[in-house]
Amino acid sequence: MSPHDEARLIAAARRGDSRAFAALVDAHQQAVRGFLRRFAGSWADADDIAQEAFVTAWAKLGRFEGRSSFRSWVSGIGFRIARDAKRSHARGAVRDSDWLAAQDNGEEQAPIEDRLALANAMAELPDEQRAAVALCLGEGFSHSEAAAILNMPLGTVKSHVTRGRERLLRALEASDGQ
Amino acid sequence: MDSEARLMRALGAKVAPARDPAFTLAVIRAAEQRRFKAATLLALLRTAGMAAAAAALVLPLLAWVPGNMAALEQGVVMAGAMLTLVGVARLMSQRVTVGAR
Repeated sequence: MSPHDEARLIAAARRGDSRAFAALVDAHQQAVRGFLRRFAGSWADADDIAQEAFVTAWAKLGRFEGRSSFRSWVSGIGFRIARDAKRSHARGAVRDSDWLAAQDNGEEQAPIEDRLALANAMAELPDEQRAAVALCLGEGFSHSEAAAILNMPLGTVKSHVTRGRERLLRALEASDGQ
Repeated sequence: MDSEARLMRALGAKVAPARDPAFTLAVIRAAEQRRFKAATLLALLRTAGMAAAAAALVLPLLAWVPGNMAALEQGVVMAGAMLTLVGVARLMSQRVTVGAR
């Protein structure tokens, strides 16, 4: 979706056009849900949070200034909802293999052992580090986009990503020895 | 495969499904539901406010009426007279306008 199309849809959604907002949800749901699934761990919780984030975004669309992309703005709302609810704390440590097995959609993917080890290691990361890793390494957001989403200085995000990557690498290596 | 490549491969696994129309529908439904709730609450508050204002006006009037029956009668007669006067004046002005055409 071009920035022009996005701006047009945002303007229409601000006037209460539900079709325009549905088009925005359609265009950005994958990135937002993907990030929240990596951050929260549980698919069902992540989708609930993503839904809440989009609903909140529509209610607060008047406050969207367009300094970041719509995708980043909604991801930020989702991050704050997830963090405040502390759902990830309660459930993040337990990642079931069904969740990972469900990711198999016919494409050639990493072995299930690696993904399990990674999911467990992700759950061990501090919230903000996990969010930075999920955004930058998992969903391909830029460091500056992640900084805007997480409301953190760029340097902090970069350091979270570097440290998070190191910890995940160590976890993968440790899983070989088991 | 080195560790970095393994990590990127494991991290790169798709976690969100392809665009899911059911998700979009659920978002729109939830948003509409929330709007409906907010509108209902606002209407309830407005009605309650109007009822409270009406009660605030009527209750002192009810307390005032028994001791001031004569004044009330006089007021009603005066209001009736004024309304009649205004009605007659309007009727006359309409006739004058029609006559001028």
